[in-house]
Amino acid sequence: MSAASAVDGGVTQRRGEASGVVRQLMPLAAVFAAAVFIPFFSNDYWVLIATRAAIYWVLVSGLNLMIGFAGQLAIGYVALLTLGAYTASVLAAGNVTPPVHPYAALVCAAIAGAVFGLIVGLPALRLRTFYFAISTLGFATIVTQIALAWQSVTGGGIGLPGPEMPAPFNTHWGFYYFCLALAAFCTWITFNIAHSRFGRALIAVRDADVMAEASGISKPHLLSTIFVFCGALAAVAGGLFATLQTYITPDAFTFDLSVLFFIAVLIGGRGSILGPLIGTIVLTLLPEFAAPLAAWSTFLYAALLLVIVLAAPGGIAALLDFQSRKPLESNRAIVPQPALLDDLLGKQGVRGDIALKDVVLSFGGVRAIDGASVDVRPGQIHGLIGPNGSGKTTILNVISGYYRPEAGTVTLSDKPLEAGRPVARADHGIARTFQTPRIVGEATVLENVMIGGTIKGHASFAEALLQLPRQIKEERMLRARAAEALRAVGLEGLGHVRADRLQHSELRFIEIARALMAGPQFLLLDEPAAGLAADEILRLGQLIKEIARRGTGVLLVEHHADLIFDICDHVTVLNLGRVLASGTPAEIRVHKEVVSAYLGG
Amino acid sequence: MPTSAAESLLDVKGLNAGYGKIVVLHGVDLTVRAGEVVTLLGPNGAGKTTLLRAISGLLPWNAGSVAFGGRDLSGVSPRETARAGLAHVIEGHRVFTQQSVIDNLLLAAYDLPRGERNARIEEALSYFPEIAAKRNDLGSQLSGGQQQMLAVAQGLVRRPRMLLLDEPSAGLSPVLVDRVLTVVSTLRKAGTAVLLVEQLIEKALAAADRVYALAQGKIVLEAATTESNLPQRLEQAYFGGHAHQHAI
Amino acid sequence: MLASILASGLAVGAIYALIGVAYNTMFSASRVMSFTAGQLGMLGGVLGSLFVLRLGMPYLLGLVLTLAACAVVGVITEVVTVRPVLKSLDQHLYVLSTLALALMIQHAVAVQWSTEPHPFPRLFGPATGGITDEKFWLPIVACILTIAALEFLYRHTLVGRAFLAIAEDNFAARALGLPERDLRIASYALAGMIGALAGFAGGALLLAFVANGPLLNFYGFVPVALGGLGNNRGAIVGGFALGIFQQAANFLVGGIFSSVAVFVLFIIVLLVAPQGLFGAPATRRV
Repeated sequence: MSAASAVDGGVTQRRGEASGVVRQLMPLAAVFAAAVFIPFFSNDYWVLIATRAAIYWVLVSGLNLMIGFAGQLAIGYVALLTLGAYTASVLAAGNVTPPVHPYAALVCAAIAGAVFGLIVGLPALRLRTFYFAISTLGFATIVTQIALAWQSVTGGGIGLPGPEMPAPFNTHWGFYYFCLALAAFCTWITFNIAHSRFGRALIAVRDADVMAEASGISKPHLLSTIFVFCGALAAVAGGLFATLQTYITPDAFTFDLSVLFFIAVLIGGRGSILGPLIGTIVLTLLPEFAAPLAAWSTFLYAALLLVIVLAAPGGIAALLDFQSRKPLESNRAIVPQPALLDDLLGKQGVRGDIALKDVVLSFGGVRAIDGASVDVRPGQIHGLIGPNGSGKTTILNVISGYYRPEAGTVTLSDKPLEAGRPVARADHGIARTFQTPRIVGEATVLENVMIGGTIKGHASFAEALLQLPRQIKEERMLRARAAEALRAVGLEGLGHVRADRLQHSELRFIEIARALMAGPQFLLLDEPAAGLAADEILRLGQLIKEIARRGTGVLLVEHHADLIFDICDHVTVLNLGRVLASGTPAEIRVHKEVVSAYLGG
Repeated sequence: MPTSAAESLLDVKGLNAGYGKIVVLHGVDLTVRAGEVVTLLGPNGAGKTTLLRAISGLLPWNAGSVAFGGRDLSGVSPRETARAGLAHVIEGHRVFTQQSVIDNLLLAAYDLPRGERNARIEEALSYFPEIAAKRNDLGSQLSGGQQQMLAVAQGLVRRPRMLLLDEPSAGLSPVLVDRVLTVVSTLRKAGTAVLLVEQLIEKALAAADRVYALAQGKIVLEAATTESNLPQRLEQAYFGGHAHQHAI
Repeated sequence: MLASILASGLAVGAIYALIGVAYNTMFSASRVMSFTAGQLGMLGGVLGSLFVLRLGMPYLLGLVLTLAACAVVGVITEVVTVRPVLKSLDQHLYVLSTLALALMIQHAVAVQWSTEPHPFPRLFGPATGGITDEKFWLPIVACILTIAALEFLYRHTLVGRAFLAIAEDNFAARALGLPERDLRIASYALAGMIGALAGFAGGALLLAFVANGPLLNFYGFVPVALGGLGNNRGAIVGGFALGIFQQAANFLVGGIFSSVAVFVLFIIVLLVAPQGLFGAPATRRV
């Protein structure tokens, strides 16, 4: 590509991405623009309903990141609403402290919500989905019980008045616009997070957490940040809710309300901002329109959830996603452009080898690796072959840090690589692909590839929230780099397609593009040719050779003998966890024991 | 060597199968006649286990046909294929470790009329006196080899017309492998057809009448085991274009 | 006082233990934790009160009908919320589908029956007020009978052995020709009956109360968490332990804070031993 067209391509691309983001913001802006006019066309009652919807959305916008993006099913989140409502009300009423100004009360509620949100969320780091869901239910019950019991502060069953907003926000209209502005702000900041590396990291953790770890994404760190953020938003919503209700009692915070929030996110669809926004509006309005069915409203919510889960798991967002229904070109060929690898891999510094020495690892009494030594040198392609169960993938997993060997050492440039912390490998310049492609099906191809570059971003969560300059710049660079990686592996033009629409072979190349994003010094490939057609295997081989030529050390675990013998500089044969033979492909090819072990007999 | 369709017990034509998006079998043709032992060889990842699973109904397939005893097996569940006389002994000697040997065999006899169960179980155990002696031991108390024998015995409880055996030698000592393959010979004499997937080429060829080789989802060789030069022809079939380097 | 704590603790613990067994039975058959377990217990109480008190049926007939109705609910759970989701790779879907069904059941009952607690019929005449009252020993007897029946089922019947087989290795069971789908439906029907029995036998203690649904969902799950998923013995022990702990806490710190105490215990145990106190640690799948 000539320099001129590269620049032009870049500008067109920037316009393309800008228009993509704008396109997604427009429906959101339209909703809020329409909402501005509600008071002019209706009465006070509907203004109150609209205020309620706005307040719910303040909570749900954060909960959306937790449930829809991070996949943590917090079904008892009304606990945070309760906490925020009581914190703000108690402070404003002056039961315990001198009366606090309502704005300050909201800020204090936010802080309390942040802390409590982290506490409620922490079990998610250790518990399975169902267990975590139940634990959030328990929290909801406890908070309500405390509100009932702590009479001196909360007024017990009698309750207490909510904070009164200062003028001009103490009228229906005034309060409505206050809440609407806050809701719009929450929409904007959660949208920013969704379209940042944090949002992508969240869905990676949700759908492919092993891959997320290998890409350097720390799940505890990320989730903790989200829990704090969600808790703060929910508590602020609680404070506003208390003002709306004018008087709060523990039974205003029912499990039904939790269900409403939770279902709004899921009906809206995971990974979307617009969907849950529409979901929240629909669910808030539903009891108003289905007045005779008011008693059945939670039943209807639940039935709606069941229908969505069974018939349209993607929710409203999936139904509105016309982009992803556009037909794809059939007969797509994967044609790598290795010249582009220069940008991605850059100049490799002189680095040592990855060396496994006499490693032993057992699973439940069976020795998966029985004293094996393997070296991966920069710029060299090292093939690892052997029958099923010989330990090939296990060795790869040991290098990746998932398993701790019982004996032997794993070093990089003679310094030990710590076991049990796969998330640190990305920093060491080690990237990998997986035996079965670990792809986020609901995200676009480009987003999937960008996940590989997460560790290259340094803008903080706050900078991403507010779209500060460093975040914008980094995001742009990451996107450009991902587009280049896609071109390099031969998947040009498929960036905006939903990943689950692609063929298996394309998914394998996406994994390679993703691995290239961090400019790795070592690339570990786990059966990348499985399921590829013969011509694709040839192109894969060429691509791997070009990657190695630029200094990256490649460890290639494979079954396809032709690929191994074609491109490898060095081949190690494993059998029953031990090295059977190690040498050049030519030496291995005629090694008697190898032939028989490989063919059996 | 042409196999007339009228004689073949199992008839697989143009079978395509895979897992999700990954297509593993690309149009496989294979036949097994009543009473013959056919062995299926091939490197790892070739699709041998996938083929057996597709035949017995454990894995859905989307193109081609599978006929057993003249009956079309498309969309048929493993339970139905077992009832039709096709028993599948899966790889990995997966017996129920928390239940006794007798209970494992009783489970294999689930669909048999109550009165026949004990007789058939004894019949199956008669092939493997070693585990008959351990009939009340739990599956977890058996060695790997004994578990494999139990798994094969499970397959025999219903006196199948054809047995699919997936890598019975995996993880077994040579003595036990011979033991299992002796049973295959006995079955052959009794008129039970066997489709044997194996890694141990020489032993498999010795036990079988015909051989198929599967590589990268396609049949690359079909021959009688009496033909000469089979090991070399197999190597050639597996390594494709690289085989000629060896000759040089 | 100790005697009364023990009596009520064991009684309510028996109910929790049975709900835990219902959870486990559904889990063993499908690897799915279903939110409907607690609702089955609630239905046991509500339907029992409906059939015997309101419709005037004899006690035993009411029991049989309740068990049958809940078996049907169990089957509906499997067909509507579990089977469609089993084929999907999405882990979280079954949590949502069973939760949705549980909510629907709860709110349908709340609207049609009542949101207030209603009395439950007695088998042996009016309350004696002491620790020998039937509301204490009935759940315990029901629990023991259920355990004995399950032991018999699993060890001495072919169907029971088949349940164990599909719980241990679903794929091998399918390959062997076991009717895995029918067995799963039967497991869910069985779980329905166990949950119903818990609610029915515990009716005098918990009353016919729609709020029992979420209550039993949580308290019935704690024994499962303590004992390890799929481990019935652990659930029984965990259930009785929980019951006694809860009643002791009730006595010591009062009703409201006893639920806080239980919850804190639950969280601590889970964080320390996520696989349960008796469960096997899960190996990491990479």
